[in-house]
Amino acid sequence: MSVKRVLSFPLLMLWHAFFWTYERATWQYDLWVIAILAFLWLVPPGWLGDPMAHGPGLIGWLRSLF
Amino acid sequence: MTFTGTIGKICNFPLRGIIAFCVRFRVHPNLLTLLGVLVNVVAAGLLAVGRFGSAGLVMLVANIFDYIDGKVARELGQESDFGGFWDSVMDRFSDITLFIGLIILYAELHSTDYVVITALAMMFSVMTSYTRARAESIIVKCKVGFLERPERIVLFMLGAFTNRMAAALWVILVMSVVTVANRIYYTWRELNHSPKVEDRLAAAQLAGEEG
Repeated sequence: MSVKRVLSFPLLMLWHAFFWTYERATWQYDLWVIAILAFLWLVPPGWLGDPMAHGPGLIGWLRSLF
Repeated sequence: MTFTGTIGKICNFPLRGIIAFCVRFRVHPNLLTLLGVLVNVVAAGLLAVGRFGSAGLVMLVANIFDYIDGKVARELGQESDFGGFWDSVMDRFSDITLFIGLIILYAELHSTDYVVITALAMMFSVMTSYTRARAESIIVKCKVGFLERPERIVLFMLGAFTNRMAAALWVILVMSVVTVANRIYYTWRELNHSPKVEDRLAAAQLAGEEG
């Protein structure tokens, strides 16, 4: 039985996000790029134990602001 | 027009000039590929000493060579099977060299966690290419999975330019694992559910019903 047939809509979306068959420069590709950039720049380096980067990152900066 | 498509078009604009220059002076595409690797060795050295900004710039130059070699080959009519093979092999050298630079850096910083993460990211990056190459020796095409070499290189450069290398390595590692899994599953599915096999099953079923 095909995996797609047994998955509900949210799981199907997740399946498509990870079982990647899209081309570059599609809106699906854009979504992934935005998610990756958000992870890269929003997460404070301390959360990842980054031995080189310092500072709070964007999330830390926003937390200190509010 | 998508966001990434627009960025691609903007980046392509100056590259067309460089390609035209190489074509004008008939620079051999295999030489461009080799130059790309050598420049990446310099970038790896800079990563190893923690000079991320400079490493990012050098990686940018290296990857211009890497990006234009195929296009120069096409324009010069010098495309060859060996050129494709040479390009693939040199790409693996470039990738592994960059990872080794980071492993040296994290080892000097006594960051065992990141030595392991970088080594794993290196292993799965190589496996990403290997699974596709091996799959395409038994099935027609295996172009699935998000994280291919261009994405990996852009992540390296973003990590270096913005000093977020640890986050970039996490993304490379996780997405490479997913890509390898994608390719293994896709190859299994193609081999087990290809029309040829299904046709044979249908024919066998039909023969059974008739018998």
